[in-house]
Amino acid sequence: MIQLTNVSKIYLNGARALVDVNLKIGKGSFVFLVGPSGAGKSTLIKLLYREETPTRGQVQINSKNLVRMKDREVPYLRRNIGVIFQDFKLLPNKTVFENVAFALEVIGVAKSEVRNRTLATLELVGLKAKETAYPHELSGGEQQRVCVARAIINNPALLVADEPTGNLDPDTAWDIMELLYDINKRGTTIVMATHARAIVNKMQKRVIAIENGRVARDEEKGGYGYDA
Amino acid sequence: MLNSSGYIFRETINSMKRNPWLSLASVVTVMVSLVILGYSIFFLANAANMAKSFESELEIGAFVQIEYTPEEVQDLKSQIEQMPGVESVTLVTKEQALEEFGKTIGGSQGNIVSDVGGTNPFPDKLTVKVTDPQNVKALASSLESNPGLYKVRYGQDFVDQLLKFTQWLRWIGFGVVAAFGVAAVVLISINVKMNVFSRRREIQIMKLVGASNSFIRWPFLIEGLALGLAGGTLAAVIVGLGYNWITVYVQSTLTFLPVVQNELLFRQVSIGLLLGGMVMGALGSLFSLQKFLRA
Repeated sequence: MIQLTNVSKIYLNGARALVDVNLKIGKGSFVFLVGPSGAGKSTLIKLLYREETPTRGQVQINSKNLVRMKDREVPYLRRNIGVIFQDFKLLPNKTVFENVAFALEVIGVAKSEVRNRTLATLELVGLKAKETAYPHELSGGEQQRVCVARAIINNPALLVADEPTGNLDPDTAWDIMELLYDINKRGTTIVMATHARAIVNKMQKRVIAIENGRVARDEEKGGYGYDA
Repeated sequence: MLNSSGYIFRETINSMKRNPWLSLASVVTVMVSLVILGYSIFFLANAANMAKSFESELEIGAFVQIEYTPEEVQDLKSQIEQMPGVESVTLVTKEQALEEFGKTIGGSQGNIVSDVGGTNPFPDKLTVKVTDPQNVKALASSLESNPGLYKVRYGQDFVDQLLKFTQWLRWIGFGVVAAFGVAAVVLISINVKMNVFSRRREIQIMKLVGASNSFIRWPFLIEGLALGLAGGTLAAVIVGLGYNWITVYVQSTLTFLPVVQNELLFRQVSIGLLLGGMVMGALGSLFSLQKFLRA
C-alpha cells in the first residue's frame, strides 16, 4: 500500500532529515516508527500525507505517486488519509460534534449525512455523551479521541499518527491505543511515530527504527529497542 | 458546492465582523476612488459636449487691412458673402470698435483717440457665420489667403484649448483614480490577509481533511468581492445623487451651460462603478491568497 523508493529529504536549511529510505508497508498493517528525536520520523509521516515532498526518490500510496501529484489533487488524497497529532489540533470555538462534523462539511457532504456519520463516529470513539462539550472542557484523552474521530470519519484507508500519546498519561495512552487497535482491526492501515516504549513492546507490531534519517532496523513483531 | 453555500456565507459575515474598521476603510477607499472616477467621466462627457456646442456656434472673425477705405471694405464684404458655405457677414467698423472699447473703459471717443496717439488703432472686422461648422477650418484658411485681410481668427482656438484641457484632466483623473484604486486593492488585500491569519488553524485543518483549495478560498474571495461591491454601490449612489443635484443647480443658475443628461450614460457609469468595485475586491483577495493556500 505504501512504498518509499530511495527517498531523501533535505530541508532548505540543509538539514538531512531522510537519507535513501526504502520501505514497503502492506495494506492493513500496523507499523510503529521509533527512533531518537530529530531522526526523521515526523518528516516520514509528513511525506505520507504530502505535507512535504521528498528531495529525491518516490513516494507511492495505493500506486498513486505523491511526488508527481499536482497540488490540486492533494485534497482528494487526504480524504483517504486520516492524520492524528500529539497536540490534537482541535478548533477551540467549536463543540466536539462540530469539530468532527467539520471534516465532512468542508468536503461538501450533505447536511443530513454529516449528522448521521458524525454521531456514529462519536459513538465509535466513545464520546457520544460529550457531543456538545467544547475542547477545553475535555480531558487530554477525550480531546485525542475527538482528533481520532475527525481522522477516521471518512473511513480512510490509511491513518498516520505523530506521537498520538505524547501528551497523555499512561492509562489514557492505552485507551487510545485500544481505539487505534480496533480501527486497525477494521482494515485501516496505521503508521504511528512514537516514543512510548511500553506500548511498542507490548503490542508486538512491526517496528521501523529511524536513526540519522536512515532505516536502522525493521522487524516484524519488534520491540522498542532503545534504553529509556 | 450547494452544500457549502451556507458555510461560505457565514464565514464571509464572520470575517467582516472580525475587523470592522479595516473593512470600513477598505469600503471607503474603494468608494473614494470610484466617486472620483464617476465624476471624472461625467466631467469629461460635459467638456466634450461643451466643445461640440461651441464648435457648432462657430464664427470667423476676419480683420481688414488697416489702410482699406470703407468702399473697399464693402467690396470685400460682398465678395466674402458670395463664397460657398458662408451664411452671413456682419461688419463691425473701426469706429464702432473704438466706441465699444470706449464704453468698456468708460471715456469719450475723442479722448481715447488722442490718448492712443491721434489715430484709431482698431481695424474693421468682418464677422463671418458659416452654414456648416465642419467647413470652418477650410473657410478660415481660404480667408487667410485673401490679401484684404491681415488676420483671421476663429473659435477653433478655444475649442483646441478646451480639448487640450480635457486631455490633461483625463490624465490627472486617471492618475488619481489609479492611485486610489491601488490603495483600495492593498487595503482589501490586507483585510483578507488578516482574516486568513485569524483563521489559520481552521485552514490548516481544512487542508488536512481534504477540503479543496477552491473551497478554502471562496469565503475570502467573496469577502473581497463584497467589500468592493459595497464601495462600488456607495460610489454609484453618491455620484448619481450628486450629479443630479449639480445638474439641477447648473440648469437653474448657469442656464447657458449645456449639461449632459443621458440616461444611458448614467446607467453605464453606475454599472461600471459596481463592476469596478468588484474587480478591486477580487484583485485584493487574489493578491493575498495567491502566495497562501498553495496546498
